[in-house]
Formats: sequence, C-alpha cells, structure tokens
Amino acid sequence: MKVLKIGIALSVLFLVGMAVSTRWQVREEEKSLQEKVLSGGKKLVSLLSLFPVTSFDDNRRALFFRTLIDTTSPDGLVYFVLHDDGTNKTLALIPHDEIGIPEDVETNAHLSMGLIQQSFIDRLSEKKIYEFAKPIFEDGKKAGTLRLGLQIPSVSFFSASRTSFIAMLAFVIFAAVTLVYYSFSIALRPLGRLQEEFKDTRVRSASLVSSSLKDGRIGPVLDSLERFLGELRSKIVELEQENVKLASKLGVIRFQKNQIMTILDSINFGILITDTQDNVTHMNDYMLNLLKKTPEEVIDRPLGEVLEHQEITSFIYQRETLNTRKNAGHVETVFPDRAPGEIFQVFCSSLTDMDKTVIGRTIWVKNVTADKAAEKSQHEFIAHVTHELLTPITNIKSYSEMLMDGEIEDGETQKEFYNTIHQETDRLRDLIQNLLNISKMEMGNLTVNKGLVKTEWFAEDCLSTIEASAQEKNISIEKKLPDNFPSLIADKELLKAAIINILGNALKYTPEKGTITFAITETPDAVAFEVMDTGCGIGEKDLPHIFEKFYRSADVSKTVGSGLGLAIASEIVHLHDGKIQVQSEPGKGSHFTIRIPKQEHYLGKT
Amino acid sequence: MIDDEAHIRRVIELKLKNRGYAVVTASNGEEGLYLIHRERPDVVISDIMMPRLDGKTLCEVTDDLKKDRSFLTIIMTCRISPEEHEWVDGMQETLFMEKPFSPARLVRSIDEYFHAQEK
Repeated sequence: MKVLKIGIALSVLFLVGMAVSTRWQVREEEKSLQEKVLSGGKKLVSLLSLFPVTSFDDNRRALFFRTLIDTTSPDGLVYFVLHDDGTNKTLALIPHDEIGIPEDVETNAHLSMGLIQQSFIDRLSEKKIYEFAKPIFEDGKKAGTLRLGLQIPSVSFFSASRTSFIAMLAFVIFAAVTLVYYSFSIALRPLGRLQEEFKDTRVRSASLVSSSLKDGRIGPVLDSLERFLGELRSKIVELEQENVKLASKLGVIRFQKNQIMTILDSINFGILITDTQDNVTHMNDYMLNLLKKTPEEVIDRPLGEVLEHQEITSFIYQRETLNTRKNAGHVETVFPDRAPGEIFQVFCSSLTDMDKTVIGRTIWVKNVTADKAAEKSQHEFIAHVTHELLTPITNIKSYSEMLMDGEIEDGETQKEFYNTIHQETDRLRDLIQNLLNISKMEMGNLTVNKGLVKTEWFAEDCLSTIEASAQEKNISIEKKLPDNFPSLIADKELLKAAIINILGNALKYTPEKGTITFAITETPDAVAFEVMDTGCGIGEKDLPHIFEKFYRSADVSKTVGSGLGLAIASEIVHLHDGKIQVQSEPGKGSHFTIRIPKQEHYLGKT
Repeated sequence: MIDDEAHIRRVIELKLKNRGYAVVTASNGEEGLYLIHRERPDVVISDIMMPRLDGKTLCEVTDDLKKDRSFLTIIMTCRISPEEHEWVDGMQETLFMEKPFSPARLVRSIDEYFHAQEK
C-alpha cells in the first residue's frame, strides 16, 4: 500500500513537473520567436523597401513570397501590402482582409518617413500583430510605403518533439521506479521472512532462524547474531545461577538477622542502635514498650526526637566529646511519664565495623529499680546489724570500765555488773550465731545435726537467756511446762537459736510490766513450743511477711533489729519438717507456735 | 539520758550520779523529747537509732530549743552510714560519741563543758 501511495505521489509530482517545465519551455520559445519576428520583420521590411515600387510586379512576387516565407513561418506572416504613393493604390501582396487594422496604425504607417514598428491586437483573432512599415524612396522622394504584418506563431504545447520527449521521459522514469522497487523488494524479501521467523523466536530458542534463510549476505549476519545470542544465553544462565545462590544467601542472612532480632527482643533491657547521623536504626521490644512507640515511628528518626529525654541525649554527646572513661560509663535517670517511680541506668558505646570504623552507637537502658532497692536494703541491714552488735559490746565496755575504775563499791551492784557483762557476751554470741546461720542459709550450707533433745533442759537453756533482761523490764515469765517432758530428735543448737529469736522478739516488743509465757506441749506425732506475749502485736499488713528475710514493718516502732530473727527461726523449723505459726493482734500481743514432728529416736542415724 | 537499752541507762546514770550530776532517763523517743521540754536539762545524751527518734528529729528539736537557752547535746552513734552526716553540719553545741564508748570519757566531756560554761 505504501508503494502505491508513493507511486501516486511520484506520478503527480512528475505530471506537475512536466507541466511546469513544458510551460517554461514554451514561454522561452515564444520569447525567442518574438525576438526573431521583431528583428526579422525589421530586416525584411528594410530590405524590401530598397526595391523600387515597380519591382513589386508579378515576377518578383514569387521571389518575395519565398523570401518572406523562408524568413518567417507561414502562420507568422499575416499580411504584406504596398502602397503606391504615385497612383495612390494599395497593392495587397498578401491581403489583410480579415484583419481589422486600426486607423491610427494605418495613418502612422502612411505618414512615417522611416521605419516604424507598431503593434495592435486583432479584434477577430485577438492576437498581437506587429506591423513594420517603411517608406520606399525613389529619386529622393517617397514613392510608396511598404507594410508588413507579422504575428508570433503559436507554439504548440504538444508539439511532436515535445510529446515524444515527454513520453520517453515518462517511460524512463516509470521503468526506473519499477526497477528500483522490484530490486528493493527482492533484496528485502529475506528480511521479511526473517521478521516472520523472529516473531516466534525467544531467547531460549535453539537457533535463531531456520537455515533455509541463510543465503547470500544475510547468512553471515545471522551467524554472527547467533553467536552473539549464544553468548548472551550462557551469560543469562550464569546470572540465573548466581541469582539463585544469592537468594539463598539472602535467605540465610535474613534468617540470622531475625534470630538476632528475636534475641534482642527477648532481652529484658532496652537496646537502641543509631547510625553515624544519630538516626535510630533499630530498637528492641523492651525499648519500644518503654517509650510506647511503634517501629515505624522511630526508624530513621533522629535520636533526640525519639527519646525526648534531655538527660540521656546530653550524656551521650558529652561522652562523645570527652571521649574518656573518666566519667561514669553510664548515667542514672528516670522516665517520669513512661515508667514513674522506676530508676534506669543508661549505657552508651560505639558500634564498630569489622575494620574498626565507627558505624554508629549502641545505647542500653537497664531498669535498676530493684537493684537499687536491694542495695538500699543491704545498707540498711548492715546498719542495723552493726547497731545490734555494738550494743552488747558497749554494755560490756561500760560496765567493765566502771568496775575497773573502782567506782562500784557496793558488792551487790558489783555482782550485778559482772552478771550483766556475762550475759551480754552471751547475747553477742547469739547474735553472731544468727548472722552465721543466715549466711549459711543464704549459701545453702546450713547443715542440721540432729540429736536427742531433752526438752526439760532445753527449756531452761532458752529461758535463761531472757531472764535477766525481762527482770529489768519488769516483765514476768510464765512457764507452762508438762509434767512429762517429751524428747525429740532435732538439732539442739539450731532449735535453740530459733526459740531464742522468738523469745527475744517477745522481750523487745513487750512493754514494761508485761508477761511472756513459754509453753511446751506434746501431741502423738509432734512437740509444740509456744511463746505468748502481751506486747504490741503485729499488724495485719505485716503478718504475712514477718518470716521473710530482712522484712521490716512499715510501722516505725517495730524497726529495731535486723529483720532476721524470724526468718532464721522459720528456716530452722522447716529444716526440721516442722511448722511455725503466729497469731497476733495489735495492742493485745502475739502468740507463736512451733511444731516439730517427733521422730523415732535411735542413736546413730542423722 | 535517752536510750532504749536498759543497761546503758543504768551505767551512765550510775556514773553521772557518782559524779554529782542529776540524771533523768527515758527509754524511748517520745518520753525523751517530753523530758527535754519539761526538765530543761543542761546536757542531753541520746542514742539516735531508736524508733521515732533519729538524728534528724533530735537535731530539729534541740536546735529549736537552743534558740532560747543553750545546752549540750551528746549523740551516741555507730557511725556507719554516710546519711548520718547530712544533718550533722547544722547542729550547734553537739558532741559525738561513738559506740562503744567509755563512760569515763563521757563524764570528762561533760565536766569540761560545765567548766567552760562557768567562765
């Protein structure tokens, strides 16, 4: 179809071109003819005017005609007249009857004394006629006027030579075009077939095209293409394999990364990682929970914005600029609106790459509230223990000093003082024993050496430790002891320590003139030791906690002591598979009961 | 004399009485503070690890009273925790005795105080 269009276009162009050139050619011809006519006319008329009038008779007429006709074309010659001035007659050699010559033209011609050229348009044929008039002179007188009318012969548009020329040209062009078209067609046919085949070829096809097409020039080109394609194919296969390898590597890396993230998230302190621009790159769950943010809100945000915590950010930057280990590697701070009442320690260190370049920072946030509380209670414990130890020591020192200074003259008082010193050393020993026990308990080293315990002596032992102090406080001791003292298998020292602790508490918390009752009772499978006092009692809130290590009541009046006594007692009772119970009412007193199961007693078994 | 340890009360009371001083004792903080206001002693000897009477409370009370008239405060401490020293700086006319202390030294200090007061 394109070809047709091209053909039509070409034809049109050709025709137009032809028309234009032909017209131009015609015009040129006309112009030259015109010149020829003009110059020819002048010459002719000048030449002919040399002949006398009389020579224009019949003899010469034919000669003149021939000459005229030879010089002009047949249709160029319009008329040829001679006016004889002598006879005043006009001899029309070639008449101009059909031509209407305008009057003024005629007049001018007649009047002129020399060559005169005029032109006018013939009314009938509408052609331009050129008239050449010249007077004939004989003997110095005008004898006549010669008038020659010429016109430009029409140029035939389709003259024979022109037509044939055009025809030939047209043929040549047509032939050429056809030839070119077909030769291109033929030359491009293989490509057309290639195109068809290529439509179905894919990268993986065995070969580009069927070998039937590989003829002529196309063949080598196709071969090169195939070679090239082969290289591409193998390259693609390589890349695909690489891709698979990379994908699996990526999978492994992702998995490992996930593992690490999971580990980070399972840690119970906060981890925050930033890059060198101080934008957050990762936060573990703990941290996200603490700040109550989602990952989307924090990743790639500046650190300051995310933390909203003046103290921490200034600590981090301080550390950076000082770059020493002099200052604490951490700062202690709080997050008042996120975790009120909790204390946190914040650590910071640089994150480095394998080649030691700094790629960011790691920030740890640890909740140390519990640790701090533990530290505090440890301090308190030590303070109390020290105080408790120093008290008997002070007593011993003071009393013995007074005795040494001889200030005590009274024998009774002296005895009293010696007694006190003696008791206080026991008190000290018991205290230290308690401490040792508690230490062993903490370490899990408390060993129970069970033996036969005769409760009669046992009761005496225990009560003797508080007798003197009770007396001083005017506290009366009641004993409710059975007639038949039971025996049991137990660790005497430990049991004693337990009971002494309870008795000591009773003593401490019973005011002056109160009563402490000590009772031993027996059941078929156990022995019960009871201590009752009329002291200040134990509050409801404290009751469940009193056997806990280091437990101190919130009530200020009850914080004398280390908080260990009952804990030790409780532990000892449990080591004996026994039970310890307490009943108490604030203001009314307390009632402690220890039940130790009896065991078949026989010597030699532990 | 304020202390919850009976033995210490006894010993100091005895010692001071032997020296001719009049002694009033209290076995707990409340009683002690009450006595300070009532008896207007020249010297107050006190333990500070008692319920309802710690160093800070004693300091406040005595400083307040010392605006009207001056007297000596002797504090018996175990000297172990740094917190004890916080309120120390603000106290006037105060002596510190570490436990275990020597009663003789105590009495000497009191003697010196009265001696200085006489001048």
